[in-house]
Amino acid sequence: MVTRANGDVELQELVKAYGPVRAVDNINLHIPAGEFFSLLGSSGCGKTTTLRMIAGFEKPTHGKILLDGVDMTETPPHKRHVNTVFQSYALFPHLHVFDNVAFGLRRAKVEESEVKRRVAEALELVQLTGFEKRKPVQMSGGQQQRVALARALVLKPAVLLLDEPLGALDAKLRKQLQIELKTLQEQVGITFIYVTHDQEEALTMSDRIAVMSHGKVEQVAPPQQMYEEPATVFVADFLGVSNLMPAEARGDDGRGRCRVKLDSFDLLAGRGNSSASGATKVTIRPERVRLEAHGSTGENRIPAMVERWVYLGNSVQLIVRLATGQVIQVLIQNSGDEIPFVQGTPVQAYFPAEALRVLIDTDAGAPPAKEPTAKGAAA
Amino acid sequence: MTAIAVGPGPAQRSALARARAWIANPWGRARFLVIISWAYAISSILPVIIAIQFSFNSGRSVSAWQGFSLTRWYWGDPTNSVWHDPTLQSALFQSLKLAGLDMAIATPLGVMLALGLARWRGYGSGASNFLMLFPLVTPEIVMGVSLYLVFLYLFTFIHPSTAAQVLGHVTFSLSYVVVIIRGRLFSIGRQYEEAAADLGATPWETLRLVLLPLLMPAIFSSLMIVFAISIDDFVISQWLSCGGACDTIPIRIYSATRGAPLPSVNALAAIMVYFTLAALVSAYFLFRYLTRGERPAAGHGGATSMVGDMGAF
Amino acid sequence: MYPKWLWPVFAIPGVVWLLLLFLVPFYAVIGVAFGGVDPIFQSPVPAWNPLQWNFDSALNTLQGFLPGREYWQVFLRTTEYVAISLVSCLLIGYPVAYYISRHAKRTKGILLVLLILPFWVSYLMRMLAWVNLFSPDGYVDKFLIWSGIAPQPPDWLNGNPVSVILGLIYGYIPYLILPLLSALDRIDKSLLEAARDLGASPSRAFFHVTLPLSKTGILGASVIIALPMYGDYYTPNIISGSPRTSMLGNQIDIFFHGGPQPSVGAALTLFLSVFLGVLMIYYMVTIAKAQKEIPS
Repeated sequence: MVTRANGDVELQELVKAYGPVRAVDNINLHIPAGEFFSLLGSSGCGKTTTLRMIAGFEKPTHGKILLDGVDMTETPPHKRHVNTVFQSYALFPHLHVFDNVAFGLRRAKVEESEVKRRVAEALELVQLTGFEKRKPVQMSGGQQQRVALARALVLKPAVLLLDEPLGALDAKLRKQLQIELKTLQEQVGITFIYVTHDQEEALTMSDRIAVMSHGKVEQVAPPQQMYEEPATVFVADFLGVSNLMPAEARGDDGRGRCRVKLDSFDLLAGRGNSSASGATKVTIRPERVRLEAHGSTGENRIPAMVERWVYLGNSVQLIVRLATGQVIQVLIQNSGDEIPFVQGTPVQAYFPAEALRVLIDTDAGAPPAKEPTAKGAAA
Repeated sequence: MTAIAVGPGPAQRSALARARAWIANPWGRARFLVIISWAYAISSILPVIIAIQFSFNSGRSVSAWQGFSLTRWYWGDPTNSVWHDPTLQSALFQSLKLAGLDMAIATPLGVMLALGLARWRGYGSGASNFLMLFPLVTPEIVMGVSLYLVFLYLFTFIHPSTAAQVLGHVTFSLSYVVVIIRGRLFSIGRQYEEAAADLGATPWETLRLVLLPLLMPAIFSSLMIVFAISIDDFVISQWLSCGGACDTIPIRIYSATRGAPLPSVNALAAIMVYFTLAALVSAYFLFRYLTRGERPAAGHGGATSMVGDMGAF
Repeated sequence: MYPKWLWPVFAIPGVVWLLLLFLVPFYAVIGVAFGGVDPIFQSPVPAWNPLQWNFDSALNTLQGFLPGREYWQVFLRTTEYVAISLVSCLLIGYPVAYYISRHAKRTKGILLVLLILPFWVSYLMRMLAWVNLFSPDGYVDKFLIWSGIAPQPPDWLNGNPVSVILGLIYGYIPYLILPLLSALDRIDKSLLEAARDLGASPSRAFFHVTLPLSKTGILGASVIIALPMYGDYYTPNIISGSPRTSMLGNQIDIFFHGGPQPSVGAALTLFLSVFLGVLMIYYMVTIAKAQKEIPS
């Protein structure tokens, strides 16, 4: 693996405002060199605008963008040592593949023999050797994407920006290219800043993820931490199914767990702020919920009824209604054994304390809250 | 009731079955539309074809067919054919001259104006845009009168002449060029220019190496449109004409028609049609050649997208 | 990406051109219309300074448009011709545009080319063809006599308003069909399919879905031909040549080329421009209202 010494990106108090609307609202990020960093969020959250500001296509209203410590906020895009792979690939339709990939090299006045060599190298990297004379319109989406990649990488930029590059491809091709992109990044060692709305994609490929909403960064963390320990309601809900339930927090139980009251049931949440109190939300991942026979006893057990049974192939999804009225999703891996919980079965839902998490509700972008926002007593 | 195929019909039915269904519903809307459309198309072109036919008339009549003569009115007749009649010849060359100059001036000017108006966001851009659209809705006589008066009383250093006619032609052609180019700009989008800048191209290189080549098809459509409207122009050319030497083909036709026109006028007009058709056909093939990088398979993309460029307004 | 000054600089040559050769000439019309007349040569002396504008002669001329006065007839006649021609063009042109946009699939290309062809043939030539056809020994009269429809065909080319109207229709209809076609093309076909799906018969679907949706297109195409038609003077001249069928444009033409009274001609031109300007504004307001109705 080739580690490069440069490619360190820093965003300081970055703001982009269109009139009164702030598309990007005070972002502070530090992306060390060589990292695969994803900006994740739904449309309109500001991730693409942030990327475009790093590329130089939008001018920040406020704030700085630093590359390897050098302020490049005022530098025009053609002078930045940063390259972009566009969502629509933007391959020049009037040039064939070779000229497309060679474009940047020729702008840099690289000698023609050197151009030939590097283009061949880049095409080999993306497995498109032999496609030099093809026109973009004669190629499939996946092939076009690789040309776009080659065109950017051949310039050996410090940072590569990717704006939802796999969006236009079908699911199978997307999965395949995700792996290829990740391998490529590890091979080349360049910093990748990747924008996507697909949380699975972000979880698969990234070293770290920044979840964005309404122009702000909700949380920055490596994928596992992001999934297991979402900091806010929004993040929990965005990544996978969250089974959010409104509850009343009642402070620490003395053993580092938070006492929560779900309707008339007392539960213990082992994750999140244990001394939280007041109205809050708890969350548990569907694969962590355990269903037991009706009437079983123990802590964190709530009577429930299986409402629906959905076969997913590798797993079974159960829609379960708790005695509190809440409907949650439960995921049981298909291990070949018969699952005894058919539609209409009364069961006992067990939320293991170490899987139950108390959350801060940041209000912004949260799903319609059924009660007023609660801020934890301490962050 | 048998439904007449409005929209995709069952193409698998045999020809006989289809014909039967067609006849069986004489009041069906589809049939009425078919008849009217073809009747219109034919009646629209037929008079012109007949006029061209009469350019091959062996006698002097423009309304009664007297026999076929291929060359009499084109170059055969020693005094009145297009080749020999100096007024007709000069009209032909004047029309071509004006069209050529119009194309040469209006197209580059219009391209720059289109780019400027499309991308300019600042003071004056709205007003300039409005100004550009105005000629499209101004009646020609108003433009003719105003140009005539301005050359008579204000810009008196310009007399009615070829120069005045060119100035007039360019003025009304500009807006057409702008509309066509802007349409193409809109469909191109900013992505290619951003990609070029991203890869290190200076603004100038971006314009030259990326934007301009991508605009070529629209520039060609513009040239063709300017040619057509310039050749066809009557009002402006007449109002700014200096007399005989400045007369264009439409002016000649106009003055001849009320008199005792000879088939040589038909021949002159027919020559214009041949020219225009030739220009159209070559433009079509040139257009297809230029946009070959944008079509995955050879199809009807050429005609419809060129027409699409023209139908931009 | 691009320097801020680039695009305005690109636009400036064109804008200057239009200012000098479009806007300023218009001001020249105003200057002549509101100017004075040289007493000796009877030639107009344009007034460039608004403070020196003399509205008397212009107002005098404009009073000629009042009912009963000298230009009233012409104005009425012009409006009549334009109205009849416009409606006829729509009656013929709408079905054609509808057919091409909606039905013809394989033949769409051919029909489109046939449709475009008239554009490429000079208007004057088409009028020439028309006049040739309607000459006393032309094909039209020959056909009428031969078929017995009209053993003594009317004199088409001498002050015959019907010929002029027919000529206007023939001449302008291509300019109507193309914008109409483009507007009809833009109507979402799935709306029509939805109507049919919900049980509407073809004619109901047309009258309740297509026609209302094409209103703006019809209006736009009508404006595109009505405005130039109002200023047309060569069509009546070629086809009829008689003052019985003269339109407003002919009046203006006469005042400049006939017995020159440029100030009167200028005043008439001004009237025409203002009148058409009002129509344009009405059209733009209607379009703006229609835009607001479309859910974005």
